[in-house]
Amino acid sequence: MLDTAGTHFPFDSGDAWFLLVAPGLLLFSLFMVYPVAYLIYLSFTNARPRNMFSGDEQFVGGPEVLGVTLPLENYTQLFATGPVLRADVPLWQVWDVVRWSNFNAEFWNSFGITWLWVATSVTLKLLVGITIALVLTHELVRGKRGMRALAILPMGLPNIFTITVWRGIFSTANYGLANQFITYSAEKINAVIGAVNAVFGVVGVEVGKLAVQEVSWLTDRWMAFVAYNVTEAWLAYPFIVIITVSALQDVPKELHEAAKVDGAGFLTRFVHVTLPSIKRPVMFASILTAAASFQQFLIPFVFNEGGPGRKNELLIVYGYRQAFSKDFYGEGAAIMLTVILTIGVFMWINVKKGKLAEGVDSQ
Amino acid sequence: MSLLGNVARSLKEDVVNVATAPVRGYRHGKYVVRGLRNGTVRKRDVARSAAATLGATAMMAVLLFPVYYVTTAAFTGSQTLQSTNGVRLIPSDPTIEPFVWVIQESSFFDYMYNSMYVATFTVLLSMSVIVPAAYALSRREFLLRKKILYGYVLLTQIGGGLGIATLIALYAMLSNAGLTDNKFILACYYAATAVPFNTWLLKTYMDGIPVSYEEAAVVDGAPPWRVVLEVILPLSKAGLATVFIFAFLAGWTEFVIAQQLLRAGNYTLPVGLYALVGRYSIPWSQFAAYALMFASPIAFIYLFAQRYIEGGLSFGGMEG
Repeated sequence: MLDTAGTHFPFDSGDAWFLLVAPGLLLFSLFMVYPVAYLIYLSFTNARPRNMFSGDEQFVGGPEVLGVTLPLENYTQLFATGPVLRADVPLWQVWDVVRWSNFNAEFWNSFGITWLWVATSVTLKLLVGITIALVLTHELVRGKRGMRALAILPMGLPNIFTITVWRGIFSTANYGLANQFITYSAEKINAVIGAVNAVFGVVGVEVGKLAVQEVSWLTDRWMAFVAYNVTEAWLAYPFIVIITVSALQDVPKELHEAAKVDGAGFLTRFVHVTLPSIKRPVMFASILTAAASFQQFLIPFVFNEGGPGRKNELLIVYGYRQAFSKDFYGEGAAIMLTVILTIGVFMWINVKKGKLAEGVDSQ
Repeated sequence: MSLLGNVARSLKEDVVNVATAPVRGYRHGKYVVRGLRNGTVRKRDVARSAAATLGATAMMAVLLFPVYYVTTAAFTGSQTLQSTNGVRLIPSDPTIEPFVWVIQESSFFDYMYNSMYVATFTVLLSMSVIVPAAYALSRREFLLRKKILYGYVLLTQIGGGLGIATLIALYAMLSNAGLTDNKFILACYYAATAVPFNTWLLKTYMDGIPVSYEEAAVVDGAPPWRVVLEVILPLSKAGLATVFIFAFLAGWTEFVIAQQLLRAGNYTLPVGLYALVGRYSIPWSQFAAYALMFASPIAFIYLFAQRYIEGGLSFGGMEG
């Protein structure tokens, strides 16, 4: 901290320095904080395009507490469209309670698929990223520096560009690269099988050939989910690579040499030398990358708008479509606030566990 | 000027490094061959190294295949790539027709003008609020300083998601004010979203500049504006470059918000690119040409700015 006493700085009286921060804070608040506040208000109303722009939106109903109606219907409707517990179904028949009650299937499907997506995509990103980082720091590989520069190229490409290219790769039409690859490999395998059959046919053995079939990537629910995962892994591995490589470079070479002298094999050295030293940065990166997965919008949106049907709508896509395709602004707002609260918790963990805010206290 | 000079110098260094890579590779090869003859280099080591390098190269080929795929598609004349004879290393019948189409018949340059407009104002606006704020947060103690910093750190990673989440409210707000189809407002929005992350980033760079430099200048009788202009800003050039690139890219590449707010005449490049996909049910080679013209300048900037960006990404508490 500079000692400003006796100098001619314009803001000698300490707190006036706040004025330098104020414009940025104001700009941010105008476009981010104010919309969040407005979003909270909207989530309590029945806002739709036809009533909102004339200012006719009204508070929705909801549960009554001490004679006051809380306008929470948009929220309660997300979780269940009616009473969940029914008097005529005994409580111990849990399955029946779930089956017969009025849960909002669309919301819970979206909620479930979002968490499944976070789990699978984070695992895949970490596996791919760490493997690439290990290869591109390996002592035997020549030209590592140039390869590393190229490897993180996906990060420098605009998302809408890469995601649309990947949509073309997973195209169901016969020019889709993924399908071409499958067809090509199947043909090669069948050629081998054919050769085998030709040789062994004499003794009466015959191996069945593979049925060559194009995969309808984006119209099959789980195939689409796989396609999302592959694309996300490709988009996000550079981030993991950058962090892992810088962690790996900090591992003292002597440690590896010493372990080698002691006769430790590759696996032993990996577990006892490499892993401990990259554990913390990788943990930190996984929190960040999980938050990124949770906020992924463009992949489902560009691929098939969270389809087929509405089966793969991640929460943020679900909120977007409830608002802009179905015109339920109020309900969309409630969903988006659920998303914001969840990301808020993510970031809280991030700052606490990742010690992101270390620099704030140190002066 | 010295700032630009420095940037130019490191750019030149990078270019020279890339250009001389083959020469260095050749020299290394010669060294290895001589070593093998003399017996100072073991055959087994060379073989292992060659195998490892080959493996790594194969991995890189797989990783970068999508980039290669879209590049070859751009140089293929056929409209749909209906042929199933697979992907070739070099297209059998290369043509620049798709690029001619983009230049002559698509609205590429209109959209580029819009993107340039938006990105320029994004950079101007965000730099003008970020630089003073970063300086104050790095160097001075004042009311709410810690609270603001904590808030900014909390918000660093949620830019995109928060933007889409609040889009409903933003759209309603701007519609009521009659400002939806407005490039300048869009630039203001991008500048606003760039504030937390970039302020924090620049602040951490400025933290690294020793206070004694500043004090020396003050003792020499330099007025405060000269201290900032001639000591702080030149020394934080790496930080400024990173913030500049991030702010520019935010305006240049953002899609979801722009797509929701802008109408046809005001489309930016990403929105125009996506509209192409919808309208013509992917004319693959034209799309690829368009996409390459949009993406490759950014990719090149990125490749050369990498050392700054990597520094920016490993901000705060990253040490294992």
